[in-house]
Amino acid sequence: MEPGDSTKQARAAAQLRKGVLEYCVLALMRDRPRYGVELLHALEESGALATSQGTVYPLLSRLRRDDLVTTSWQESASGPPRRYYALTDSGRAALDEFTRVWPGFRNAVDAFLTTPHPPTGEIV
Amino acid sequence: MKTSASLVRDYLSAVEREASALPADRRQELLADLTEHIEVTRAERPDAAIGEVLAELGDPRTIAATALAEAGNGVGGAPARSDAGAPARSGKVHPLVPLLMLTLSMPFMMVFTDQPGQLVGVLFRLAGAVLLCTSAHWTPVRKTSGVLLAAVLPSVVIGTWNLSSGGPDAGAPALLANLAMFAVMAGTAVWLWRVRRA
Repeated sequence: MEPGDSTKQARAAAQLRKGVLEYCVLALMRDRPRYGVELLHALEESGALATSQGTVYPLLSRLRRDDLVTTSWQESASGPPRRYYALTDSGRAALDEFTRVWPGFRNAVDAFLTTPHPPTGEIV
Repeated sequence: MKTSASLVRDYLSAVEREASALPADRRQELLADLTEHIEVTRAERPDAAIGEVLAELGDPRTIAATALAEAGNGVGGAPARSDAGAPARSGKVHPLVPLLMLTLSMPFMMVFTDQPGQLVGVLFRLAGAVLLCTSAHWTPVRKTSGVLLAAVLPSVVIGTWNLSSGGPDAGAPALLANLAMFAVMAGTAVWLWRVRRA
């Protein structure tokens, strides 16, 4: 194993994140509505899904346009009112579908990554 | 030394500048979301420096680029064309609109058989045909087939029928013929829906 170029690692992580971020955001709303800053904190704490915070808002905006989430304003004890994001029925359906396909996807990738390959490159 | 208000203003105007290719309503929405984020964060972490809050929010260019990419996904039309400016507008109508207009003109005319009803139905059908032709969702060949089958054919058949037998409500044979025509139009609409481009 080579240590690998850190920008390339960052690119792989960014590609992966692009694919799964919206489902993780939907999953965060599974049990209760959340407001933007709250969603961002949860993503941040996950480590791997931490992203430039501002880029999550265009994603939330698309989820709203695609009718996967709805929003409502709620007053807060401290500071300005928060815009809460909640799953719609189709948002929940999209999340369920992702939850269904993800294990197969994860296992397939794991299988590719862990299958031993004959050593190459040494004998050339 | 800049005040935090002016730092926020500079940041937001940088986002606005970078996002100038976004439709105005999307851009305003993005700016409102970011403004809210900054206000909420400052209320929750009063000790955090504004520079830190903005740095966590990220590079305005990255945010604008993400917003543009998301807008491309969401329009449902052709993202590749979205940078073509005005000409792309004509194809922005949802593909269901012309199909429904074409198909529904028929039952509409069957229900409203008096004069304004017939005229409105024909206009509806014409508008549907025009929208179909200007849509970005079909190839020219499919548009032509669609207009022929769902607009021209029924109009010709019904027109001929009405001229030869004295009116749209001429009893059971007319009803059957109308229903057959409706089936052809609905079938055409379903076919167009299936073969539409995303």
